[in-house]
Amino acid sequence: MKVSGRSKAGKFTFECRTGERILYAGLRMGLALPYECATGTCGTCKARVREPATIKDLWPEAPGNSYLQRERGEFLMCQAHAIADCEIAVPAKMNSMPEDYIPLVSTQGTIVNSRLLTHDVMAFDIELADPIDFDAGQFVVLQVPDVEGGRAYSMVNYERATRRLEFIVKKKPDGRFSEWLFSSKADGTVAELCGPLGRAIFQPEEAKNLLCIAGGSGIAGMMSILSRGCQEDYFKDHGGTLFFGVRTLNDAFFLDELADFVSAFPDKLQVTIALSDEEVASIETPHNGSLNFATGFVHIVAAERMNRHYDDVVAYVAGPPPMVDGAIRTLILDARLPADLIRYDKFS
Amino acid sequence: MSWKRVCSANDVAANSLKQFDVDGVPVLIANLGDEFRAYPPLCPHMEERLEESGICEGGLLTCSKHLWQWEMRTGEMRGEAEKPLLLYELKQENDDVLVNIEKELEYEYEEDSEEDDDGFWD
Ligand SMILES: Cc1cc2nc3c(=O)[nH]c(=O)nc-3n(C[C@H](O)[C@H](O)[C@H](O)COP(=O)(O)OP(=O)(O)OC[C@H]3O[C@@H](n4cnc5c(N)ncnc54)[C@H](O)[C@@H]3O)c2cc1C
Ligand code: FES
Ligand code: FES
Repeated sequence: MKVSGRSKAGKFTFECRTGERILYAGLRMGLALPYECATGTCGTCKARVREPATIKDLWPEAPGNSYLQRERGEFLMCQAHAIADCEIAVPAKMNSMPEDYIPLVSTQGTIVNSRLLTHDVMAFDIELADPIDFDAGQFVVLQVPDVEGGRAYSMVNYERATRRLEFIVKKKPDGRFSEWLFSSKADGTVAELCGPLGRAIFQPEEAKNLLCIAGGSGIAGMMSILSRGCQEDYFKDHGGTLFFGVRTLNDAFFLDELADFVSAFPDKLQVTIALSDEEVASIETPHNGSLNFATGFVHIVAAERMNRHYDDVVAYVAGPPPMVDGAIRTLILDARLPADLIRYDKFS
Repeated sequence: MSWKRVCSANDVAANSLKQFDVDGVPVLIANLGDEFRAYPPLCPHMEERLEESGICEGGLLTCSKHLWQWEMRTGEMRGEAEKPLLLYELKQENDDVLVNIEKELEYEYEEDSEEDDDGFWD
């Protein structure tokens, strides 16, 4: 199917395969279509279609639909197939893709090695038939036969041309994918995946100090960023500061891995675990030589600990939307960072 | 003319935003420290309530939802913003903040209506 479109940046056409989402088809062709969640919640990918009968809406109840004016033919590009040649108009500016942009692919992989990290966080790997590339900080959309619709998960590992992707999932009460994963039927399942996606990527060529603020499962992409930084000796010359927010010490994970990062670059890397619901003074904390612990919400702890020393910083934020909004507030009010140095993913 | 009193100057703290209802018209008042400004209450991007999503710092207003930014004094776009902020005419008389509301200002959330002959594209 041919999709003809236009945005403020001009006209474009691309081919959309049968069963392919319009957003993914455009991204696969290297078009900078607007999106954030790629999974129907945020509304950022809205566009207008001339003939509504030329597309199929895959999820009529998508939360992102609340941003649409249906009577004007608006739809979410991440939740629509083209079922005939169609004409669309994209309201956003559509800057061009960066030169080193890694094009999106659709592929399959097998879920293996699912393992509990805490009472409500599960890690698993996906083994791919064909290697793929991604940037540290990116995510893929996964779909499994037992659960309707795709889910976005950020890669934890970092490796070029890899056949293994590592993920973590936090259990969400009544969440369909996470409940399915926690029911331990996952290993051996073949998942469809689309990616890499996401613009909150680590760009070593910027040569800045990294400030990472993560809430809960938002740590996933930060692990990938820190892995790349360590593998490539980025932290020989640049600072890295991570704030990782969880409720209590029992909810924290990856502490051994984080301590290992710090011991590789003790002068440049700093990691603070922020416990929102537990007094640090009342507990015994592990890795005391390499990890710091503090009590409070992660964006508040970050502001206190940074103490207005945000020298040549680029910031990465990921986690639940209210936590991300709070961290953005800190970064603008306290760090006075310009918006283009704030990269975020809202796990909506 | 329809100058209407919105609030008193100390109802809105410096570097903050507060939404008021002026005879049924929602108006967002910004206190820049030395001056006030009045805007329609919703972000021109995706209609988020700026009273909640807006951050004022250094004369810039940032919407925390997707980081569109504007010059608070003029409404001019900065950074990622793709539409300027609309402003109501505002004046201060002693302690009172007044705005001139001829009609409610609203953003065009739909695009490209004018250039198109058929309302879609050429
Ligand atoms: C960019 C990004 C990265 C993320 N990374 C992580 C991560 O690394 N770890 C993590 O734990 N979480 C991550 N999340 C959140 C994750 O995608 C899920 O929302 C979360 O795991 C809950 O999924 P669930 O199926 O358990 O809950 P549910 O409430 O069942 O579903 C949640 C989401 O799934 C999608 N969905 C649900 N039903 C349908 C349907 N019928 N059709 C189509 N789509 C549907 C929607 O996006 C919905 O918001 C990320 C989110 C985003 C946007
Ligand atoms: S990108 Fe489609 S709704 Fe978020
Ligand atoms: S809603 Fe304000 S920037 Fe998107």
